[in-house]
Amino acid sequence: MADQLVVEHLTKIYERGDILALDDISFSVVKGEFLVVIGLSGSGKSTLLRCINRLIEPTQGKVYFDGVDVTAASGGELRRLRRKMGMIYQQFNLVKRSSVLTNVLAGRLGYVNPWMSAVHRFPREDIEMGLKNLERVGISDQAYTRADNLSGGQQQRVGIARALMQEPELLMADEPVSALDPATSHSVMKYLEQMNQEDGVTVITSLHFLSLARRYGTRILALKDGKIVFEGLPSEIDEARFKEIYGEEAEHVEVR
Amino acid sequence: MSKSVEEMQALRFRVFAFFLDWASWGYIAYGIMYLLNSYWYTNIHYYGRLSVPTWGWPIVILGTLELAAISHAFGHSIGLSMFGLRLVTDSFTPPSLGKRWQRYLAWHVAVLSFPVAIWFSTQKSRLLHDRLTGTRMVLVKQYKDEIPILPPRAWYKTNRGEMSVVLIGVTLWVGALVTQIDLHTMISRVSTSSYLWKELLSPHFTHFITPDPALQQSIVSGMIETIFMALLATAVGAAFALPLSFLGARNIMGFSPLGWVVFTVVRGVFNVVRSIQPLLWGTVFAVWVGFGMFAGVMALGFHTVAALGKLYSEQVEGIDPGPLEAIAATGARRWQVVLYGVVPQVIPSFLAFTLYRWDINVRMATVIALVGGGGLGRIMFYYQSRVGLLPDAWNQVGAVIMTIIVVVWVLDYISGRVREKII
Ligand SMILES: Nc1ncnc2c1ncn2[C@@H]1O[C@H](COP(=O)(O)OP(=O)(O)O)[C@@H](O)[C@H]1O
Ligand SMILES: [Mg+2]
Repeated sequence: MADQLVVEHLTKIYERGDILALDDISFSVVKGEFLVVIGLSGSGKSTLLRCINRLIEPTQGKVYFDGVDVTAASGGELRRLRRKMGMIYQQFNLVKRSSVLTNVLAGRLGYVNPWMSAVHRFPREDIEMGLKNLERVGISDQAYTRADNLSGGQQQRVGIARALMQEPELLMADEPVSALDPATSHSVMKYLEQMNQEDGVTVITSLHFLSLARRYGTRILALKDGKIVFEGLPSEIDEARFKEIYGEEAEHVEVR
Repeated sequence: MSKSVEEMQALRFRVFAFFLDWASWGYIAYGIMYLLNSYWYTNIHYYGRLSVPTWGWPIVILGTLELAAISHAFGHSIGLSMFGLRLVTDSFTPPSLGKRWQRYLAWHVAVLSFPVAIWFSTQKSRLLHDRLTGTRMVLVKQYKDEIPILPPRAWYKTNRGEMSVVLIGVTLWVGALVTQIDLHTMISRVSTSSYLWKELLSPHFTHFITPDPALQQSIVSGMIETIFMALLATAVGAAFALPLSFLGARNIMGFSPLGWVVFTVVRGVFNVVRSIQPLLWGTVFAVWVGFGMFAGVMALGFHTVAALGKLYSEQVEGIDPGPLEAIAATGARRWQVVLYGVVPQVIPSFLAFTLYRWDINVRMATVIALVGGGGLGRIMFYYQSRVGLLPDAWNQVGAVIMTIIVVVWVLDYISGRVREKII
């Protein structure tokens, strides 16, 4: 099968602090994969995900999505590419004072008539789609409450619904469960798994815990100091590899 | 940082610290000369001026230089503490008094022989008097591990504490003389002014509703004018400030060089317009559109754009960037990101600031009457100009002032309640 996402020699240097956050990263992702990126904090996971949809501008290297060069796209073309890549975040990144439904509808901004969005009008189909997606993540009864009245797990589900509105082909998640407790973590991860298996959406997620990565990932990419130190199947990570990725003093932590 | 960069930084800071201390002593010397001078001509010879002879200036300059050197050798001066410098021995302990004397004397040798000293320090990267006495002036942050942490001393026991007291004391004393503060007159003439207080505090509300024939206006109608003037100035000001504030926010405009230019220009204009009093803008607009209420509204509105614009911009800069990132990632346009990500976050504080500004504008509208505007201000200044002509002029002024107080108080109360509700 053809690669859906190709990353070639991606390098990011933060000028402030002169930090080499990504160092010549190359990998590709096949459609339908569930790729998990692991690594210590500061290893470059967030930077990598954000360079793919250019929330952060890469210093060097190329990103191709469905054969289109994302790094060369600008203006309208970049926006159309971003539309196809949903993203969810560690801190949920909802507009706290807006209603849940408004937050979800923001996922349609790349599609709707801009003039209508200027006066906060969305097509009927989009509103129905929003309610349907909220139902799918199990919080349709909260559609009109303010986002900050929801619990952490519920807010992350709003984030997922917002990403679903984009009808994405690729879903990127930056440590989506790091701010949640273990039980809620699994319920959120299950939604990602469902999107991956039922809708055939490719998922790239960074995760803090190896146990979660093993449980959900079909493939694992490990970063250390901005370099890829491991790429392969979850089962291939043995004690030696684990120590290499997480350092000598690391202990296994299970998230059940 | 490499060793040599660190050493250069320490050296630079030493120079800064020294000049800062020298300047503080110079300031004190100048202040004392001012005080002496003023004492001379008030108490000794009215027409005389105490002047420093030409040979006096070098003495002052050298004297302050010595004082700065002393405060560097013997204590922890303002300059040293400001730049985080500390005098220590080679083993990083505080030097003894004897060492400090040595250092003070060696400093003279180093200064007097400065070509040699410079050569010496480029060879050994330490200044001559450092080496001669086995002491060093170090940046505390560069030697955190070596320098023992001493128990802090009470501020009035430290060198910089005492120095600061002297600096503040001299400044206030000279300031009192410059501004001619005169408590004696103020107290001795309390009784003379008491009639004014009596009349102001027994206001005559004769023209509260019935218009004054000379003015053709009542206090109530003036009040309505003032409130509307402030309301319009606030509304117009806010309407312009709203879009401009996004252009003046670093986090919105920082995406391109052009954005930076716009940001800098907008914020610059805000700051300039804001720093010019509405009263001055009133003068400008009185010339432009003619003396009257219109000029007053324009002046207030103009100032409001800048004042609110700055406050709004700062609110925009203080928002949570997470939602913006998320909305941009959905493929939204920049302005959609602003509309859906920024606006909901800033609306409550924008409203609160706007109401607060209305309050300010009511108060300013009364002063603007001096150069234009009507309303309560015009009535107040009219009665005040009739003192001596009208028997109850001060009582009338009192009535207007009472009205202003009540209006401001009511508006303040309302805006406070509204603010509570929306935040
Ligand atoms: N905006 C930024 N400016 C400067 N340095 C940054 C910025 N964001 C991240 N970094 C640095 O880049 C490196 C990688 O960070 P990040 O991608 O956030 O790692 P992770 O998500 O794995 O914790 C870290 O050293 C971090 O300090
Ligand atoms: Mg991260």
